[in-house]
Amino acid sequence: MGREVSESCVDSLLTEMVSSYCNRLYANKPELAAPRIEAIGYQVGHQLSERYTMERPRFSDHLEAIKFICKDFWSELFKKQIDNLKTNHRGTFVLQDNKFRWLSHMSVDPSSENGSTVEDNSVAAGESKATQATSMHLYFPCGIIRGALSNLGIPCAVSADISNLPACSFVIRIKA
Amino acid sequence: MIVCVAVVGHQNNPLYIQSFTEADDALKLHHIVHCSLDVVDERVNNPKKSGPTLNETFLGLLYPTENYKVYGYLTNTKVKFILVTTDLDVRDADVRNFFRRFHAAYVDAVSNPFHVPDKKITSRTFAERVSNIVKSFGLSSAG
Amino acid sequence: MTVDPANTSLGRMLLEEISPVVMVLSTPLVEEDCLKNGLSFLQMLNPFSSFNNIDVPVRTASDQPYRLQKFKLRLYYASDVKQPNLEVGKKKLKEIVTEAGEKDLSELCSDAPQISNALVSSESGNPSSWFQCFNKQLVHMVSFSDHEAFDHPVACLLVASSKDEQPINRFVDLFNTNKLPSLLNDGAMDPKILKHYLLVHDNQDGPLDRATKLLAEMRSTFGSSDCQLLCINSSQNVQLKHQENPWAPYKSDASPSQHLGCFLNVDDISEIKDLMQDLSSKHIIPYMEQKIRVLNQQVSATRKGFRNQIKNLWWRKGKEDVVDSPTGSMYTFSSIESQIRVLGDCAFMLRDYELALSNYRLISTDYKLDKAWKRYAGVQEMIGLTYFLLDQSRKEAEYCLENAFNTYSKLGSSGQQNATRCGLWWIEMLKTRDQYKEAATVYFRVCGEDPLPSAVMLEQASYCYLLTKPSMLRKYGFHLVLAGDHYKKCDQIKHAIRTYRSAISVLKGTTWNHIKDHVHFHIGQWYASLEMYDVAVKHMLEVLACSHQSKTTQEFFLRDFLQIVQKTGKTFEVMKLQLPVINISSLKIIFEDNRTYASPSAASTRESLWRSLEEEMIPSFSTARTNWLELQSKLIPKKYRESNVCVAGEAVKVGIEFKNPLQIAISISGVSLICQLWQKTDEGTPDGNKSSEENDNDDNCEKLTTNIRDISSDDSLFILSEVDCSLGAGETITVQLTVTPRVEGTLQIVGVRWKLSGSVVGFHNFQSIYVKKNVVKGSRKAKLSPNDNLKFMVIKSIPRLHGSIQPLPEKVYAGTLQQLVLELRNQSEYPVKNLKMKVSHSRFLNIGNRENLTTQFPACLEKERDSGQSGALANSDMSHDVFLFPEDTLIQGKMPFLWPLWLRAAVPGYISLYISIYYEMGDISSVIRYRTLRLHYNLQVLPSLDVSFQISPSPLRLQQFLVRMDVVNRTSTESFQLHQLSSVGNQWEISLLQPPDSIFPLHSLKAGQGLSCFFMLKSCRKLSNSEDTISSISTPLASDVRLVPQGSGDSVYDITRSPLVDFHHCERLQQESSQQGDLNVIDFILISRMLKINADPGFCNAPHLISHHSCHCSVASAAPISWLVEGPGTLHHNFSSFCEVKLKMTIYNSSGATTFVRMKTFDSAGNVGRLTGVNAIQSATPGNQAGWHDVSLVNDIKVASNVPGTQLGKPLSLESVCPFIWSGPSSTNVQLEPKSSVEIPLQVCVFSPGTYDLSNYVLNWNLSPSNGRGNHEEGRQASGTCQGYPYYITLLQSA
Repeated sequence: MGREVSESCVDSLLTEMVSSYCNRLYANKPELAAPRIEAIGYQVGHQLSERYTMERPRFSDHLEAIKFICKDFWSELFKKQIDNLKTNHRGTFVLQDNKFRWLSHMSVDPSSENGSTVEDNSVAAGESKATQATSMHLYFPCGIIRGALSNLGIPCAVSADISNLPACSFVIRIKA
Repeated sequence: MIVCVAVVGHQNNPLYIQSFTEADDALKLHHIVHCSLDVVDERVNNPKKSGPTLNETFLGLLYPTENYKVYGYLTNTKVKFILVTTDLDVRDADVRNFFRRFHAAYVDAVSNPFHVPDKKITSRTFAERVSNIVKSFGLSSAG
Repeated sequence: MTVDPANTSLGRMLLEEISPVVMVLSTPLVEEDCLKNGLSFLQMLNPFSSFNNIDVPVRTASDQPYRLQKFKLRLYYASDVKQPNLEVGKKKLKEIVTEAGEKDLSELCSDAPQISNALVSSESGNPSSWFQCFNKQLVHMVSFSDHEAFDHPVACLLVASSKDEQPINRFVDLFNTNKLPSLLNDGAMDPKILKHYLLVHDNQDGPLDRATKLLAEMRSTFGSSDCQLLCINSSQNVQLKHQENPWAPYKSDASPSQHLGCFLNVDDISEIKDLMQDLSSKHIIPYMEQKIRVLNQQVSATRKGFRNQIKNLWWRKGKEDVVDSPTGSMYTFSSIESQIRVLGDCAFMLRDYELALSNYRLISTDYKLDKAWKRYAGVQEMIGLTYFLLDQSRKEAEYCLENAFNTYSKLGSSGQQNATRCGLWWIEMLKTRDQYKEAATVYFRVCGEDPLPSAVMLEQASYCYLLTKPSMLRKYGFHLVLAGDHYKKCDQIKHAIRTYRSAISVLKGTTWNHIKDHVHFHIGQWYASLEMYDVAVKHMLEVLACSHQSKTTQEFFLRDFLQIVQKTGKTFEVMKLQLPVINISSLKIIFEDNRTYASPSAASTRESLWRSLEEEMIPSFSTARTNWLELQSKLIPKKYRESNVCVAGEAVKVGIEFKNPLQIAISISGVSLICQLWQKTDEGTPDGNKSSEENDNDDNCEKLTTNIRDISSDDSLFILSEVDCSLGAGETITVQLTVTPRVEGTLQIVGVRWKLSGSVVGFHNFQSIYVKKNVVKGSRKAKLSPNDNLKFMVIKSIPRLHGSIQPLPEKVYAGTLQQLVLELRNQSEYPVKNLKMKVSHSRFLNIGNRENLTTQFPACLEKERDSGQSGALANSDMSHDVFLFPEDTLIQGKMPFLWPLWLRAAVPGYISLYISIYYEMGDISSVIRYRTLRLHYNLQVLPSLDVSFQISPSPLRLQQFLVRMDVVNRTSTESFQLHQLSSVGNQWEISLLQPPDSIFPLHSLKAGQGLSCFFMLKSCRKLSNSEDTISSISTPLASDVRLVPQGSGDSVYDITRSPLVDFHHCERLQQESSQQGDLNVIDFILISRMLKINADPGFCNAPHLISHHSCHCSVASAAPISWLVEGPGTLHHNFSSFCEVKLKMTIYNSSGATTFVRMKTFDSAGNVGRLTGVNAIQSATPGNQAGWHDVSLVNDIKVASNVPGTQLGKPLSLESVCPFIWSGPSSTNVQLEPKSSVEIPLQVCVFSPGTYDLSNYVLNWNLSPSNGRGNHEEGRQASGTCQGYPYYITLLQSA
């Protein structure tokens, strides 16, 4: 009973949401825009987890829940699984998606394709702006993950890292 | 026949309690549901005694009172569904089937934009859907 | 942990309850002697009948030696050795419970217990000791049953007094059978039992010698060993008290007056001790030991060994099933079964559990085969207990007990009591093994149908749930509630309350409101029944706001609550009463310091708006760009600054929302504020006692409010307004309250109080919460703590202006010009001076000058001959700045101060007019130097006339223009009379083309009617003096055209007079357009009158004009051609057939080049279709007005004609069928020589009456680029399209 939705629709919805928050509502103070977007993601994740965990036994520990996020949850959202999951066994998990769908259509200006490690400032400046703009689009998925996990009773903090597009890795820190 | 179904939030707060009897025993049913939470906790905390298989959402028969049977279901999101029935011989499959459909209904209900999370479920659609599920309880044994 | 089972609570219980019974037979004299000590003989012995360390050597049946340590004898009078009466037993139970209930009455008044300490108390052994007594009593209720032997007396103690004559004979007939209990007679037990003879001697009756003689005699008759002498009451007539009196625990109902055993001195007691010791160790134990041996031999002889068992089985098969009847038993004491049982019990009592167990097992099978269920159950019970004491195979133990329990239960009423007892054993066993949950379930099973025991059992069950790890609190609560209900059934109200109260502790903080309400409500009721109304009310309050309950329940709750409250007699005062709910965030406080408001609407207007309005008015220093509130605070001393200032005698208004959560109506009365006012003493500090109340808070609010009431009762300090209202189901109302301080000092608004249905007074404190206020804004609010927000510095009363504008209508038609009067009053005796006024919309409201008051309107505007611009531009340029009243204006006393205002409804829509009047205090010194009066009015302006002008070069002469005025009456009912059209500026001169009569045959413009008429506009400007006239736009010369026929007497209005000129000035500024200072612009003013004065009260019937200003109409036109459609304006026709209208179009080529013009007509309804039908127009629905609105596309078309090549489709939305068609050629081509004109005949066929706009044609033109003189027309392009002008013809149905 998988319910389907036009992917392009979701894509443009996301971009539109981000732009409306960053460029219109909180144009002058982006530090406010990010939490808002993240909060939206939280609600979405909260609801999705409710739906996607139907018909499955309860998770006995955190790892199971995270695995669920990597496998079923992710493929429900992006028709693919997380490509790589790392953990330090102390409550931090790194989920890497080698081709994150929501970034696939996104291109940061060429000066910055070799990632945030660029040191020369002129490039770094423009590039940092670019990544900053891109990262805006990642608050939503981060929120989704956080919402899903917290609804599964795992309070956590989620951050995203886009050193090399379109690969994207989400870092989940579970609050002890 | 099913006497009462209930949804209890993850802080053990009642989200939805509906009785299907003519008699005015709402209070009693509230008590039964309330007590059943103890059993749910017990089941969850020491899984060895818990339901058919480990960590299954379906908790099976929680406890038989003198004239009721109380079944429980615990979702991944720590939301509890309680089913109180007067039937003496209930097929497990029926109950499972019931809970599955009920869960679906619940998920749709909380997706309702007008539903406030962790507040009582007031949606009429949900109520109707539940009553349908309850009516069809046991009729279709096929999972 | 392996604790010796004997030391567990169950072990101790068994030791007490299952121990040898000694039957006591005593003579009356013996009792007499003992009674001196306030004791019966039995009671006297009792304390010494149990031994902790008796240390008797015993041998088992198989000669295993062991020693008995603990031992107990149970003493009973022969008369008591029988099955106790059930009723009596029940009465005893009831007593126990009731007594216990009385005991903890005290804590009922304290507030509900917490789970934590409940847990503690129940973990520390037994939750309440009386449960023990209760359980023991339950056990006793089945003692001396004939199906079990451990209650059968093993020995008999015969007692005679030395005073008895013939004690020997006494002894004999003491034991004569007819007095003996039935057990011995009906053969249930062996009547031959150990006898012991005791002679009691009372030392107060003189010397011992007789007693000793008698003893010897007894010894000779009964045998030396079995006779003894006991001397008591040795302490001669001195009453001695025993510290730790040994009898006290055994005799509960001891009256303190008598001291138990007051004549028993130390050696008496020791003698009794010895007696008992000797009795048990030397006689009873050996006797039992002996008995065990004998029985054991018999049993093993008959039953042990394979053969015997086979035989036994076969024999039982053969035996017909005789159901064991409770009476006349089939098993006499001589029967082998009974003997086995006795053997077992004896062994049990002597701790030889193996032996006991083996025999019990042996017998149980027999009983089972015989279906002697009661006996079977009894044996099973014993097996279980034995297993427990052997501390082996717990499963077995439990199984047996359960088995016994079930078997007993199956027996029905006869077995009920036994079942209970068995259950209690079982429970105890489970408890000792920490299986509290199971214990609880057993408790649940134990409780039968009669409520009292059930109640107690349920309560104990609840404690078990509490003790389970982890504790199951909800079940705990549930069982408490159940117990409570049962207690209630057997009206043990106090217990019911107790249990329910502890149940609350579970529910506290949860949202299980159904249960909560139930519990609280019943507790409330029960307290009420105990007449502890205060507590009752406290609980009832919990259920008041039960919006989730059904309507009936709500009514029920409320009714009961009110009843209880009435029972209390006094009116309750409740902090935070739930009914009705107060929406604190809705709290709105309006006070007037130096800002005073003429109306609530003014008060609710945004402060910032007022501030921006008043900025220029209030004193000069505040024109600096700072928040003027700060400056105000600079004026007033510090102590006034941190609190709000209000003026004595002026009310502080508070608005607060009350919400009724219930589905039933409630009535609240006497809603009023709670205030404190500390009168300012000379040193300006609040005096002591009052200031102490300043830090009053919720808990001792009672005191505060009572205090408040007597303050307001002798209403010396302030006056409170009281409001009564009733809230419908779920209704929310906002109550307006006021407090009016009367003296200087500090006013504190503490909260609000109200009375619910006349019986309960509720309070709500504002201070606890953060108060949002609508008047204190911005930085100031931040500085104030919520407390200060409700604190006011009351200063002595100063003058305050009251103002209103008369007669300001609510609705006017656009353009209406009328005279108003501002009326100001000042109650106080002090005058106010330096009045200034500021108006928000000078376009709508204009300030007149004093003489306007006298002159009457509109006559004052009429232009009289030979006066040029007299009085023109009086104050034309005071558009946006402050109006200063003349210096001499002093407002004081009763006399109202009047000032004229002009109103002109400039544009349709809703307008809020803000007027602020600044004034300073007269000769009075106060912290407030000036105040502002703020007026606010809402005005609805309805559309009246749509006027649009179009200027096109006149076909006849240069410097002359055709002005086409299109007027549409947009109202639904009104009809207007166009009075005059005036042109302003650049020395234009306007004149009519036709006489007015021909323009309006009807002399008026009916509702919904439209018309267009033409004027000739001539520029009398000489090219020479054009420069200086450019600058003179502000000094317009006007030329007027009367549109009314000559007959009517009224003359032309002078548009150069105030206020017309002022308003026109505003309009100019408003309609500012690009071509500023362009010479080719002209302003028109159309003045009209409303004919029929509207009946609607909203309109005022004051005389007024309607003026429409349209400014900056350009005379320049892009197209080289201009044309004119001529024809009848209005026609009558009976539409028997369609009506044919002939028209004529004159096209003029104003350019210098030859122009080809092609004229096309479209037969399309377009927007026109919608406005057809006279009736449709007269029944003016908004739809029609919308339809009309489309017509005013005329303007767009005019504009479009300037911008060439506009899309054709625009005006022609082909929608409905055409109401008329162009007959004749649909397109005509003409060639126009420069400066020449041509005529084209046109013809339309109309099918129904109505007003039609014949604008659906276009003219395409293009210039032939032939001759060179086109170069001065560079700007013009070579071709273009002109939309048709609207040309309205009206056809009326003729009779």
